[in-house]
Amino acid sequence: MKPIVPKKNEPVRIGFYICHCGTNIASVVDVEAVAKYAATLPNVAVSRTYKYMCSDPGQELIQQDIQESRLNRIVVAACSPLLHEHTFRKATEAGGLNPFYFQMVNIREHDSWVHTDRTEATRKAMALARAAIQRVPHHKPLEVKKVGINPNVLIVGGGIGGIHAALTLANAGKMVYLVEKEATIGGHMAKFDKTFPTLDCAMCVLSPKMAAIGSHPNIHLWTYSEVAKVDGYVGNFKVTVRRKPRYILEDLCTGCQECVNACVYKDAKFADEFNLGLGKRKPIFLPFPQAIPPVTMIDPEVCLNFKRGKNPDGSHTVSDKCKKTCVEACGDRKAIDFKQTQEIKEITVGTIIVATGFQIFDARRIPYYGYGVYPNVYNALEVERLINASGPTEGEVILRNGQVPKKVAIVHCVGSRDENTNRWCSRVCCLYSLKLAHLIKEHTHAEVYNFYIDMRTPGKGMEEFYNRIAEEGMHLIRGRVADVYPDPNDGATGRLVVQAEDTLTNKILKIPVDMVVLATGLEPHPEAESLRRMFNLSCSSEGWFLERHPKLAPVNTFTDGIFLAGCCQGPKDIPDTVAQAGAAAAEAFALIDKGHVEQEPNTAYILDDCCGCKSCIPLCPYTAISFAEDTKKAIINETLCKGCGTCVASCPSGSIVQNLFEDVEIYSEIDGVLAEGLF
Amino acid sequence: MVALLEPAVVDKATTLETLLETPAGKRMMTCIQCGTCAGTCPYGEHMEFAPRLVINMLRGGFIDEVIKSDSLLRCVACYACLAKCPRGIRLTDVLLPLVKEQVLVTRTEIPAEFQKSLENMHRYGNPMGESPRKRAAWTATAGTKIPILAEVKRTVDVLWFVECYPSFYARGQDNCRAVAKLFQALGVDFAILGNEEKCAGECGQVTWESGLFESLAEDNMKLFKKYQFRRIVTADAHAYNAFHFRYPMFGLTQPAEHTTQFFARHLDQLKPRLTRPVNRTVTYHDPCCLGRATGSYDEGRALLQAIPGVKLVEMVHNRVNSICCGGGGGGMWLDTYYKQKGMERLSERRVREAVATGADVLAVSCPYEISRFEDALKTVPHDKPMVVRDVVELLAESLA
Ligand SMILES: Cc1cc2nc3c(=O)[nH]c(=O)nc-3n(C[C@H](O)[C@H](O)[C@H](O)COP(=O)(O)OP(=O)(O)OC[C@H]3O[C@@H](n4cnc5c(N)ncnc54)[C@H](O)[C@@H]3O)c2cc1C
Ligand code: SF4
Ligand code: SF4
Ligand code: SF4
Ligand code: SF4
Repeated sequence: MKPIVPKKNEPVRIGFYICHCGTNIASVVDVEAVAKYAATLPNVAVSRTYKYMCSDPGQELIQQDIQESRLNRIVVAACSPLLHEHTFRKATEAGGLNPFYFQMVNIREHDSWVHTDRTEATRKAMALARAAIQRVPHHKPLEVKKVGINPNVLIVGGGIGGIHAALTLANAGKMVYLVEKEATIGGHMAKFDKTFPTLDCAMCVLSPKMAAIGSHPNIHLWTYSEVAKVDGYVGNFKVTVRRKPRYILEDLCTGCQECVNACVYKDAKFADEFNLGLGKRKPIFLPFPQAIPPVTMIDPEVCLNFKRGKNPDGSHTVSDKCKKTCVEACGDRKAIDFKQTQEIKEITVGTIIVATGFQIFDARRIPYYGYGVYPNVYNALEVERLINASGPTEGEVILRNGQVPKKVAIVHCVGSRDENTNRWCSRVCCLYSLKLAHLIKEHTHAEVYNFYIDMRTPGKGMEEFYNRIAEEGMHLIRGRVADVYPDPNDGATGRLVVQAEDTLTNKILKIPVDMVVLATGLEPHPEAESLRRMFNLSCSSEGWFLERHPKLAPVNTFTDGIFLAGCCQGPKDIPDTVAQAGAAAAEAFALIDKGHVEQEPNTAYILDDCCGCKSCIPLCPYTAISFAEDTKKAIINETLCKGCGTCVASCPSGSIVQNLFEDVEIYSEIDGVLAEGLF
Repeated sequence: MVALLEPAVVDKATTLETLLETPAGKRMMTCIQCGTCAGTCPYGEHMEFAPRLVINMLRGGFIDEVIKSDSLLRCVACYACLAKCPRGIRLTDVLLPLVKEQVLVTRTEIPAEFQKSLENMHRYGNPMGESPRKRAAWTATAGTKIPILAEVKRTVDVLWFVECYPSFYARGQDNCRAVAKLFQALGVDFAILGNEEKCAGECGQVTWESGLFESLAEDNMKLFKKYQFRRIVTADAHAYNAFHFRYPMFGLTQPAEHTTQFFARHLDQLKPRLTRPVNRTVTYHDPCCLGRATGSYDEGRALLQAIPGVKLVEMVHNRVNSICCGGGGGGMWLDTYYKQKGMERLSERRVREAVATGADVLAVSCPYEISRFEDALKTVPHDKPMVVRDVVELLAESLA
């Protein structure tokens, strides 16, 4: 189709389209009435309703009308511009018009979805339609800017999600920076012995991937590090990473652990984080045998060569009081450096994948389950470590007093599905509880009681897995545990009574057990809020990062160029995490491969009547404004301007104009919405 | 607890027929039948219809079968089910009393002791059938002048609502004397209603909107309207609960406080005067109407810890997980009935836990508990002597 360039003074001819969106809009808004009303407004040449405007025939309708009815402006009243503005701009362009001769009206999210009164909702739709119809004649043709994209990718979080995304991109030849807060990558999965539904060994699957990360030429792995700052925009993010001191030089350490053996502490006596405090480590230690990078670290809080306590800036001071047998053992490798300080790295990347995972619910928040009070109450992650052959008990499921439990209760839904704690279903705990039931029985031959509310086992192979575990002779009791307390008849042994109603037999059960396992739910990290702010993401009310659209853009965020993978977006199992990580990598790859990003031409520019007062210059958050000494006027760098509008509002002489948001456009819109006769 | 944060989820006109239409009822529609309520209920194993089933019978249209059974006579309104319900369903203070009321209306045989106390409340304004004219008689032994509102004829800061057990029972009067002493020490401007006062009717837990609670509440409200005062303070956790939750529906606008809350609020002033050591190991029982019902767990403990010499130890079940003394929801007058049905006395269950702590004092903050626990101590074996004391009694003891 040949491009139509409206001639100067050519009369404005608007095509107005209102979408039924199936029944989403039409059930609340009388779309026919709105179309009829729009037809009466000035400049409207065509006014139509259509069932699905975003469908191919809907888009073709626009193109056809542009040609046949010589339209030069298009208004579509439908869903959110977030969803389909792009679609309709494309249709407008395909019809031969500049795409910015288009304006969208949101009568779904802003109207039919939030109102129930049909008359009022219809009136609101009319007002919103009129606003757009009065605005669109002032639109100007604009050009989309293209800017190059930096091919490097930042991945935040080295759990299975981050690991999979990093390998996918690195294997495709992209340079990846993987930033992990802990001293090793692996996330939660590295703590498990086996995984549902296949009961395959977790580390057998994970450790080759971890090792590949450690040795990949395209991956910069920065563990024990945090993202401190993010600036810029899609294609060109400037990221500051803080690498915390581990007092070991990563390049020189060979992971031989001779230092650990040589340490003046002959016995490991400090709570070992990787084993959730169930085991002990020395002041110099490797987080766990298969840690990646295979590099030791020193805990300055307990190492004798440091003064006790932190300095106000968080750093530690060397005391030089220790014999430093570790340094002796390290010898020529010279990998130990007590003077190491934090290191700040600045990188530029084009895209970012956030894969920061989850934390387990702190069971102390439900006091009547006795976690933290009774030593024989464990959370599920602790039991994963007990079962694990490389865990603190080398795979023996034994209680803190060394005994093997004969009866074990597994309590489902701890900190899930509960208005008093977290409302959501954590999705994986029914299945991991079944897994733990099987593994505990296998290791101890104990009687195992699973107390559940509903057994939720959706997904491929999961119901079959449930069936298999049930056949093994577990006691599956439908009832939420109401109380856990020391057995009054048998207090000294630490035996506990688990009390619950079996809702299928109407019986109140009080079952004495030796061990209680709490299937703690998944919840967002406490620092998710600061991450959210740093990466400019949105969160659901629960605190999970929000995807741009649950169906159409499940790994995208509302910030272009930033993607989500894994449990930071919501509870999910490993297969789903990996699938999402693959999708996030593909989205990042697609952007990089295109080579450029298109930028909305909503930039500001300065008119000739600028008086040179410079008041706008310090206000621009993107430092896009500078002062031209020759003309004594401010100028805006179009590639840096993000269209925030701050300068426009600040200019005392009204000399700054913003494309797509010109005063005349906004005022006409306001006039339209407040038009007489509607309210 | 979610539920406790929203007082206005039902109004007083709500009936079992209209319940499911109210916000509280809509929440009942979300019950997931998890059985936490039944599992935590101290008498759950003795109920044919435990709370979980009550909800499902109501939703399914079979509530008549529940009303025919005596299950809800076995509910002691302890708030345990409500506090732990993962859906925040108002069982104890909304659903169960509505059903219980129907049980009372339709049931031919009502346990005699219980029947009698309801009649007494109706006729005399107190459950024990004492003469209303003797309600303020205890003031003669107060050791200080107790002003009566009708006589002071001015606005007072605190209306001290004494309630029945503290007014008439010897051990309750100990509590009154302690409160009077503490008020005096703090220079509180207070007065009581005297013989005009009637039972606050927290047995509203038993009768909900019907005659008895309504008439008691209306009588008391007339008095509250007649006099000028800024707040109500009461030592009775049940009365406090009624003022806090139900009376606002009858027009009460002044805030209500329990004595432990009031004294905890004035702890800075009180503490320097608590000089006489009370060298005892004390365990604290959370009254249901104060703890689970209103989330007030810390005040009683803060007061005990302010007393020099007191060593505070906790029972296995404490705070939200505390076990009821068995006196709520009419349980005070159903002991004989429960015994006939082979049900263990909850006060004994509780006292066994108190004894197991090794404490010498079982501290309480509700007047029902004094007599219930003192009785239970007579039957529960214990090697070491144990006494029951209200927190305010211990405070007063420590006052120099
Ligand atoms: C007890 C238990 C048993 C389970 N068993 C199974 C099972 O058998 N099978 C199964 O499929 N699923 C199982 N799951 C679910 C499984 O753990 C998750 O699906 C999986 O771990 C999600 O991976 P992730 O990478 O999204 O998150 P994580 O594993 O949580 O990894 C996130 C990583 O990001 C890092 N990080 C966090 N914040 C930052 C930050 N600010 N900066 C840098 N790095 C950061 C973390 O340190 C961590 O390494 C189980 C879960 C639990 C709790
Ligand atoms: S620091 Fe030295 S001794 Fe310790 S593991 Fe590394 S190389 Fe070996
Ligand atoms: S997956 Fe099962 S245990 Fe976990 S919250 Fe959901 S229902 Fe409860
Ligand atoms: S605890 Fe709440 S959700 Fe569970 S069965 Fe009882 S009322 Fe229903
Ligand atoms: S209030 Fe207490 S006694 Fe009554 S049903 Fe609930 S848990 Fe049982």
